[in-house]
Amino acid sequence: MSRFTVDRDGETYVRPIEGLELTRRQAALGLVGLVLLLAVPDITRVTPLSFSIIHQGILFGLAAVGLNLLLRHTELVSFGHAAFFGAGAYGAAVLAHHYAVSSGLVLLVGGVLVATVVALVVGYLVAGYLDIYFALLTLAFNQVLFAFVLQSRYFNFNDGLAVRPEGTRPLLLGLELSPGAYSVILYYVTVAFLLVMLFAMWKIVNSPFGRALDAIGQDRTRARFIGIPVERYVWIAFTISGLYGGVAGGLFALLQLHVRPEPVLFVFVSGEILFMAILGGVGTLVGPVVGGVVLIYLLRLARFYVEYYHALTGIVLLVVVFLLPKGVLGSLPEIGDGLARRRREPGLLREDAGSVAESIRDGAGRAVSTVRIVVFGVK
Amino acid sequence: MVESVVVHTLNGIYYGFVLFMIASGLTIIFGVLGILNLAHGELYALGAFLVFSVVGFLAGLIAAPTDTVTAVIFGVVVLAGALAAAAVLLPVGAALEATFVRPIYEREEVYQLLLTYALLLILIDVMKFGWGTSPVSTGTYSGLNRIPTTEVLGFSYPSYNVIVILVGIAVFAWLVWFFDRTKTGRIVRATAINREMATAIGVSTDRTFTLVFAMGAFFAGFGGAMVSIGPSDAFLEMGLDPLVLSFVVIVIGGLGSLKGALVGALLVGVISRWTVGVFGLPQLELAAPFLLMAIILLAKPEGLYGTWGEIE
Amino acid sequence: MTGGSSPDGLNRRDALRVFGGSALALALAGCAELLGGDDDVGDAEEGDVPDEPIEAGLQTFREGAPAVLGVQAEYGAETAVGRINDNGGVAGREIELDVVEEGDEHLENYQQFVDEGKDVTFGPISSGGHEAMVPEIDDRGVINVATDGTVTTLYEEDFPDTTYSFRFQNHDVMEALAAAVEAVEILGADEIDTYAGINPNYAFGQDEMEIFSLGIQQLADAEEVYSGFPDLGADDMSTHVTNVNSEEPDVVFTSCWGGDATLLLQQAQASDMLENTELVVGPVLYGSANDYEEGDLEGPIHGGSRNFYWDQPATDQWTPAADLFDEVREEYDVIPTAHFMSGYGAVTAWATAADKAVRILGRWPEQDELAAMLEEHGFFTPAGYHTMATDHQGYSNAHFGELAWSDELDAAVLEDVNVYAPEEVSPPPGTTSRDWIEGW
Repeated sequence: MSRFTVDRDGETYVRPIEGLELTRRQAALGLVGLVLLLAVPDITRVTPLSFSIIHQGILFGLAAVGLNLLLRHTELVSFGHAAFFGAGAYGAAVLAHHYAVSSGLVLLVGGVLVATVVALVVGYLVAGYLDIYFALLTLAFNQVLFAFVLQSRYFNFNDGLAVRPEGTRPLLLGLELSPGAYSVILYYVTVAFLLVMLFAMWKIVNSPFGRALDAIGQDRTRARFIGIPVERYVWIAFTISGLYGGVAGGLFALLQLHVRPEPVLFVFVSGEILFMAILGGVGTLVGPVVGGVVLIYLLRLARFYVEYYHALTGIVLLVVVFLLPKGVLGSLPEIGDGLARRRREPGLLREDAGSVAESIRDGAGRAVSTVRIVVFGVK
Repeated sequence: MVESVVVHTLNGIYYGFVLFMIASGLTIIFGVLGILNLAHGELYALGAFLVFSVVGFLAGLIAAPTDTVTAVIFGVVVLAGALAAAAVLLPVGAALEATFVRPIYEREEVYQLLLTYALLLILIDVMKFGWGTSPVSTGTYSGLNRIPTTEVLGFSYPSYNVIVILVGIAVFAWLVWFFDRTKTGRIVRATAINREMATAIGVSTDRTFTLVFAMGAFFAGFGGAMVSIGPSDAFLEMGLDPLVLSFVVIVIGGLGSLKGALVGALLVGVISRWTVGVFGLPQLELAAPFLLMAIILLAKPEGLYGTWGEIE
Repeated sequence: MTGGSSPDGLNRRDALRVFGGSALALALAGCAELLGGDDDVGDAEEGDVPDEPIEAGLQTFREGAPAVLGVQAEYGAETAVGRINDNGGVAGREIELDVVEEGDEHLENYQQFVDEGKDVTFGPISSGGHEAMVPEIDDRGVINVATDGTVTTLYEEDFPDTTYSFRFQNHDVMEALAAAVEAVEILGADEIDTYAGINPNYAFGQDEMEIFSLGIQQLADAEEVYSGFPDLGADDMSTHVTNVNSEEPDVVFTSCWGGDATLLLQQAQASDMLENTELVVGPVLYGSANDYEEGDLEGPIHGGSRNFYWDQPATDQWTPAADLFDEVREEYDVIPTAHFMSGYGAVTAWATAADKAVRILGRWPEQDELAAMLEEHGFFTPAGYHTMATDHQGYSNAHFGELAWSDELDAAVLEDVNVYAPEEVSPPPGTTSRDWIEGW
């Protein structure tokens, strides 16, 4: 028995760090994921996959990890998280463009600070709201920010700002790098941030503060009765979640080297960040990152392969809603179990096909009968 | 100057009624079903494309207006076309509700958002398949403007805007009548207020929900049709901005409140026009509706007519 | 020579000399018939040129409101590629053109094209997208010739040293100044005391308004009485029309395009705006030529058509334009606008430069050699003569005329077209536009 494993209930759990226990399958998956993550630059070199799109996907996914803190624990749906992603990106861009700051680190820190301040202010104003009001209020602040940037000469309207202090790339780790080296090193900087921030999120979620957020999500009144300062905790969670968006946005500015309002601040970007979390799996820590990569890949590059690329993305999302209710990553265990069972009993496959056909028939039947009712009325 | 304030206000009211027609469907659906339908803007766009085809067909049957009488006939035919186009949305809405929306009423709100977002994307490509990728125009705007209204107003103002205002008032009056005076309308309201009670007295919530969704789709489509017979083109993704503005409208008015949607729409319309025309702050044109929404929400969280999840 | 003189009197040898010495350049200028069927005249030795086709990518707006412009650019690029391939390709290599919707993903589109191994890329329409792309283009080293994306400061101030990024269409200053000059030509400087603007609310619209203001203030000492910026893709502009009506300016300037242009003119007509102003000038108004109705064009409305108007020089004298016009009408059932030429010219600029490079080098050029060849490269299209200057900006004549309705074409036409040579409406090399105008 090594220091990194524990036995409980006849199962061996892997324990990489104190407090985190994974089943063997989870540990194996995690390890594969980590190796894949580190190998992305090499994988994309030998496959037609796009390196920069995966990088972008991870960044939006990181913002979704932040948003998931609100979604999963306080059960608040934010429809305005692009505000923080955009604030992070524009914070870095303004420093590079108007102040010729060349250090990538300083640009990032600047972006994160701006995003955090925006999150502090918005969070203060929305912390007392619930449900749809919370969603729509965050949306309103997002749009105010978008409109403000879009109409401002300082931000160069919709043409946006280049993140190229003195016309060159920002320095990474103090180095002036060639384009290829820059993108690879920036990618590993992103990976480092991602791992640290995932770990931090895991710590937050499993701290008393995280438990308190769960309590707030389940019932605010009860949470208040047991002495949790609900609004203040929601405010703090909101700010943390905005900070994640800011880091992602700042790194996005360093990756794209040009920031425009529509791709980072428009309200539908907020929707996309939200949907990444659901797509990947709200109930998981890493799911939003997977959701980010999948959704960004579809949104950016599906157009190169199919004519009806909106519909393709839509269908993928429908599949998630109806067939993978726990998201791509959240449903992995069930998919694994299901596949294993079907390997043992091939007959189940026929049943599956039958039930899919049946549900399609049911849906069509329902549609026909309701259309009949709507058109001809109830007999 | 006084006259220009009047014209700016009329412009605002006109735009407010456009917004009201779109937002009314959204607020009905939210009020009864509790679903924030992100695909609503695409149903609006679908109405705009459909009216292009319907009016294109009808315009072949009648001549372009030359005098007052033919102009009025032209107007009636075009409005009939708008209604016919919106009527197509009834079965479309019903089918969408029965097939996609019904299975997820019990799911968390975010899944409902995700589902309607997926429908939004799919509907864009349905229109792309049906009408191609380029904008289309019905070309009826100048014909509608030949209907004389100048005499009525006392100064020159586009007749189309007057028609939109009148139609908007009619839509509001019809909705109030429907929910207040008809049996079906009362059943819908009863279902909105208490689903279980409604079921207990023998109301089929399934059918009510389908009906309401179909109605919401109808008004979205009608709004799109009314816009598209005017000076605007119908184009893919035309639904995004109106969708976001309808959120603003129904939040200001109070979610689920018809009166609120009307007042909210007129407020947004008039204030955004005054921002540019009267206050002289063109740089706030885009932000004005959202600032208004944030201020109202912060001051009066339930909106002006704070209904939550029921039609009023 | 400019596009103004007729090539009819030329013999074959003269023609080849004038058009840059190759059958391809002649074909793209629309003068292939001058070759008299002898189509290998002047072509390069094809010894060291690879056999495989040239892979090219074009990003343009194919969907939604901006498709009014973007689809024309696509037609233009397709037409040029068709003519190239019909004439044996570039030094024997045919072009395969992939077209993709530009959306908001300009950078990603370019990167994807490069990853797919494209030899050259064209587009985009969006100026912000173009701005984001330029440094990436220099990093990746695959030439891009922008069809549009015309913000002036791009090559003047932001990227004066770019290597691989070029732009074919005239920039903002040329068309906004042409509008100011046109207004003065029509009304006279003394008659213009006030002006107003209605421009789309984004960088392009803000830029155009600023340059027009500078120009009209210098030329006529006029005063701005109103400037409004309706949202791009707006569904109502009545507020701005009302404001113009109450100010009654002498000139209204608008850089609205596509659906915004038709919306503005329709609402302007409905509210009698044309009776409250002496003149409306709009540099991109002719871009919506296919979408106007007769009633939209009543009154003194002067539209620009950037670097191409199909009837200029008059098609009865200039057969290349007439041939192109007929071909486009037959193939696509539209009137070609300046955005058609954006696509056609971008492809032509690159293809004729590549053709010339092969003839000089005796082999297929590297990207940097081709980029060097494109600098100060002159070539013909049916729009006339164009140069790609050392600042990587294309310069051609700017067109302006009165918008009128043609029953015969069932579309808008321009009457009394004024043609402004590039040096009239753009600064000399090494000067920025704003300094230049202020020094008038």
